[in-house]
Parts: sequence; structure tokens; C-alpha cells
Amino acid sequence: MDAYLAAIAIIALIYVLLSLGLTLQYGLTGLINFGHVGFFAIGAYTSALLALKGVPLILTFPAAAVLAGLSAWPIGLVSLRLRDDYFAIVTLGFSEVVRIVITSEKWLTNGVQGVPGIPRLFEGLQGFAAQAATLAVILAVTIVAVWMILRIAKSPFGRLIEAIRDNEEAVKALGKDPASFKIQVLIVGAAIAGVAGAFYAHYITYIVPDQFIPLVTFYVWMAVIMGGVGRVSGAVVGAAILMVFLEGSRFLRDIVPWISEVDMASVRIGVVGLLLILFVMFRPQGLMGDYTKR
Amino acid sequence: MTTTRRQFVGGLGAAAGLVAAPGILRAQTQGVYRIGALCPVTGSGSPFGSGMQKMIGAAADIVNAAGGAAGRKLEVVYEDTQTNPQAAVLAAKKLIDVNKVQILMGTWSSGVSLAVIPLTNDANIILMNTSGAPALSTPPANAKGLSYRYQATNDRFGRAFAEICVKEGFKRPATMAFNNASGIGNTEGFRKAWEAKGGKVVESVVYEPNQPTYRSELQKVLAANPDVIVTGSYLADTTIFMREWYQTGQAVKWIMPGWAASPDLVKAVGPDVVEGVISVDSVSNENAPSYKAYDEAYKKATGQPGQANVYAAMTWDMVHVLALAMEAANSADTQAINAKIREIANPPGQQVFSFAEGKDALKKGKINFEGASSVLDFDQYGDVTPDFGVFFIEGGKLNRRYVVKI
Repeated sequence: MDAYLAAIAIIALIYVLLSLGLTLQYGLTGLINFGHVGFFAIGAYTSALLALKGVPLILTFPAAAVLAGLSAWPIGLVSLRLRDDYFAIVTLGFSEVVRIVITSEKWLTNGVQGVPGIPRLFEGLQGFAAQAATLAVILAVTIVAVWMILRIAKSPFGRLIEAIRDNEEAVKALGKDPASFKIQVLIVGAAIAGVAGAFYAHYITYIVPDQFIPLVTFYVWMAVIMGGVGRVSGAVVGAAILMVFLEGSRFLRDIVPWISEVDMASVRIGVVGLLLILFVMFRPQGLMGDYTKR
Repeated sequence: MTTTRRQFVGGLGAAAGLVAAPGILRAQTQGVYRIGALCPVTGSGSPFGSGMQKMIGAAADIVNAAGGAAGRKLEVVYEDTQTNPQAAVLAAKKLIDVNKVQILMGTWSSGVSLAVIPLTNDANIILMNTSGAPALSTPPANAKGLSYRYQATNDRFGRAFAEICVKEGFKRPATMAFNNASGIGNTEGFRKAWEAKGGKVVESVVYEPNQPTYRSELQKVLAANPDVIVTGSYLADTTIFMREWYQTGQAVKWIMPGWAASPDLVKAVGPDVVEGVISVDSVSNENAPSYKAYDEAYKKATGQPGQANVYAAMTWDMVHVLALAMEAANSADTQAINAKIREIANPPGQQVFSFAEGKDALKKGKINFEGASSVLDFDQYGDVTPDFGVFFIEGGKLNRRYVVKI
């Protein structure tokens, strides 16, 4: 049971990292980023491919963050003039471009065959110890990320990006240039997603383009919305709720033994969907409350 | 809308309690061997997954009815991979850590098998899969030799295609592949085998999934003037490009994997379009009594003939091989079972076709279990080499002309 809980915790923390990036971009700044999985994929492939070339993991993780962050920069430039829905389309397109490039550039990424045998964190440790150590590291990184975003939110920079979210015209009227702030926010959020990607690659140990589909982006959106938009605590809680729904539903079997094993798989996914719908119906502002609407 | 935050958190706590409770109730019981059935019940493997799962259960029932294996009853715990590596990893973790299963079987897509195999290696348990990717045969994936593959590798499909080209006297083959591991695996396997025979592939095209039309890809292939086109394709895309090819009127033969050139394809495009198409599939061991038993069980469970799902025949065999190996080892220990799997499945030995038969024969000497999916002889990598049936589509019917052995 311990190892299973640890596995859930690790995956949940990866989603927390992704949600934190999105909270910064959407919750605080109002950028509708539908391409989060693209940065996640760039981080995963960067770290995995470098590690397979023999680069120590202590260097591949920062590389993942840097490359994912840098990849956000051109999108920022291109889409500066786009607001809201248009920006959403550009980012969605970006994540698909990333996936197709990964699929096509076989010399680098092994294409659709995927990259197997990615080294794990703490290869030296055996069994549960390795997992516990991994959990400790990702927890530490998540805490640092939470702290960082809380600091950003409370700083003058944070007030400014929230002003962009609430009224971009007013910010311009005050003589500030929203564009450069938006780019910075995009880069930071993407870098965090890159780190999440690196953890994912070294935890699952096998990556293939099929894993980086838009569904991942929308899982993150669900987490952010259920937690409470614009709340840093919401990103954490939302990812936790999502994991409880997804994994907890595996134990439905023990509660409703009269459903056949084969039907159970579909019932389970139906139940997850129902829970998500009920959640947003009865708690539309998210568990921690929607900060943007105050 | 009046739920307070306190009420909600309380509800969440209660839900978490419900989730946690069953794990405590499960303790290891003596005399039971737990199988983790990890099949693609939802996602892109869903046409096969539920049948695969049902056949694991049915085969376990048969073993238990015959008194169990090595004095133990088989108990099956089911999880769904969702045909998604991340979901599969969590499901596998749950099976291993919470349900304490002693073997995992039934993973279908290569992506899922490759993601799950590090976990089974860590836990020192066996993984039986039906995936095609060559990477599963060798380290790091199969570093411990605990992986058994019941499906032909994509490479072997390619080799079968090349044999057919030789037999049919084709000289200028071209290939068309769906851009995924399986599609490209088929055509690349073909190219390797064909070039080893001194041939040359005149054109190869890889196409992206989910296109409304494949005209430009077709034009590229047909421009090279091939006498046969070998595909690594699926049903949906094949339906589109076959229709478009028919409109061009250019004469060419086709060789396709069985999951693309199926009766459904004939139904979708009409018998005229697919007349003469060669459909290749690993043949289940159809004349063996083991296949008959499987076919009956499959009909009973799903109402369809056993031919409809080759993977279900494979999962049926997984349970049989496991149970016979346990019986031979007289142990539920993974290493002991692993040491016996090739011994009971490969020649030499008395041919047996069912668990009860094998259990009896083991008392007298060596056995060679012949499965429903193939004769099941595992090589040093844990791979099997099934025979390939070559079907010609004639008048809308798939007629098997001959069988290719590689």
C-alpha cells in the first residue's frame, strides 16, 4: 500500500507543479494557456535525452526548465497582440506542433517508438527507498515552487500581472507595458512545467508522443478550476482532488461488488466524469474560492 | 449550492476513508495465487480489452475447477490500463502493492507494456504481454528475463510480408505506414527482410493519422510504379485510401495486416474495391483442441466467435502457461515458475492442450503445451513465432490460401 500511495503522491505532485504554472499564467495574469502540455513534453524529452547521453540528472533538470522556458519566449512574442481566445488557440496549436515535431524527428526522439529505459532518480537505491527519495525530492521542489509563486503574487510584479488580468487597458493607461510582463509570466510557468516533465520522464522511465496529448492540459485545467482560480493553494488542492477522483475510483470495486469486472472499467470512468461535473456544479468557485471574482 | 466548506471537507474526508478501508481488509491468504489482469478495457484497445479480461477469468476458473495449480487456487484482480501508460503505471502499482498480485498479464499496447515493465522487474514478478515493439525483448526492458510476449513482434510481421512477396513473385514493392510504433514496425520489418533477400523497396510513405484524405500519399506511392503495396495500417485509414486508390484505376496488389484488411473493410468499401487484397494475420492454433476450448469459452462469454479477438486467445494461453509452470515447479515462487515456463511450453515433451491434461502428464514426464493463440514456443527473449495465415479477398470473402512459417 505504501508504494502505491507514494506513486499516487508523486503523480499528484507532478500535476501540482503543472497547476502552479497555470495558476501563474491564467489565475494571476489571465493568459488562457491551452498548450501547457507542450512545455511539459519539452521538459520530459530534454531531460530524458540528455540523461541517456550520460549527463547527470542534476544538470538535466535545470536544462529541462531552461529549454521549456525558452520555448515559451517566441510564443509570447508572436501572440502579444492576441487576447484571450486567440491566445488560447495559438497555445493549443503550439502544443500540437511540439507533439508532431517529436513524432517526426526520429533521429532525436525515436519518433513514435518512444524513448525507453530513461534512468530513474536514485538508481542506486532499491525498491521503496528509491521511491521515498523521489517523493522527497519532488515534494521539496514543489514547496520551493509554491513559495516562489506566493512571493511573486505578493510582490509589485504580482500586483501588476493581476492588474493585467483585471483590466489590461487600465494598465496601459498607467504607462506600463503589459507585453513584457506577459512574456515573463509565460516563461516562468513554462519552466515549471518543464521541471514537471523531467520528473515525469524519470519516474515513468518511458516516454512516447502519445502521452503528451491535449488531455493532459485539460487535466491541469480541471485541477486549477476545482482548486479555485487565482489561488496558489487552489493549484495544490485541485491536483489532489483530481488524483483522489481518478485513483480513488479504482476502489469502487470494493463498494459495488455486483457490477461485472469488465463493466467496472467503464463505470469507473463514468463516475470520475460525474464527480467532476457535480463538483463544479456545487462548487463553481473551486474548493479554495475564486480569487479573481472578489 | 449551499454546501459550506466545512461540509465539503467532511465529505471529502469520508470519501478518502472509503477509499482507504478496503486496502486494510485485504490480507494475504494461504493457498491462493493472485493474478493481476491489466487489460485495455477503455481507450484505443477497448475492442479487445474486455474479451481479453474475460478470458483470463474463464481460464482461471478452468484451472481452479481442475484443482488449482501447485495446490493453489488462482484469484484474478482486474484493472484497466485505459490504453494509457500513465494510467497503466498507477494501475500496476495498485495491483502490485495493494492487491499483492504475483504476476501481471494482458498488457496490450507497446507503450503500456514498456511503461509497466520497470515495475514488474522491480517487484520481481512476471509480465505477460501482447505487444509488438522490439524494445520489449531486450534489456533494459527485459533485463531480468521476466517478460513473455504472446504476440508476434512487428518485425516478424514484416518478415512474413517479405516471404509472401517472394512467393507471389512481386518485384517492385512499396510501403505505406500509419505513423505509430506498430505501423512503422511492420513496414520497416518488411524492408529489412526484403533487402536481406536482395530486393529493393521502390517507395515508402509514412502518413499521419486521422486525415480525411490520403490522395497525396497515394500519388507519391503510385508514382513509383510498384507492383505491390505493403501497408502497416489500421481499418479507418485503410478504408479511406482504398476507396481513393480504386478511383485512380491504377493496377496494383496490396498486402495488409489482418487488423486492417478484415471483413469490416470489405463491408465498408465493397467487395469490388478489395478484390485480390492479401490479408496477413498470425493464425491462432485453430486446429488444436486448445483453440476449440478457447473458442467455446469466448462464445459463452461474449456471444462472438473466438476468431474475433486474437488477443483474447493469447490471454487465455497466459493463464494456462502460468498454471502449468506452477504445477511443474510445484511452487508459487516467481523464480521457480520462470525457470519452468519454457520447459512446459516448448518441445520436447508430450503435447498437451489443456490444463487438466497437462497436470496429469506432468506426473509422468516433460510436456509441451500447445496454446490456442499459437504453438507457444518461447525463444531466449520470451518471444513467440506464430505462423501467419495468408488470406486472399475473393468475392468479398477472406479465403485462406496458405500458411507462412518464418
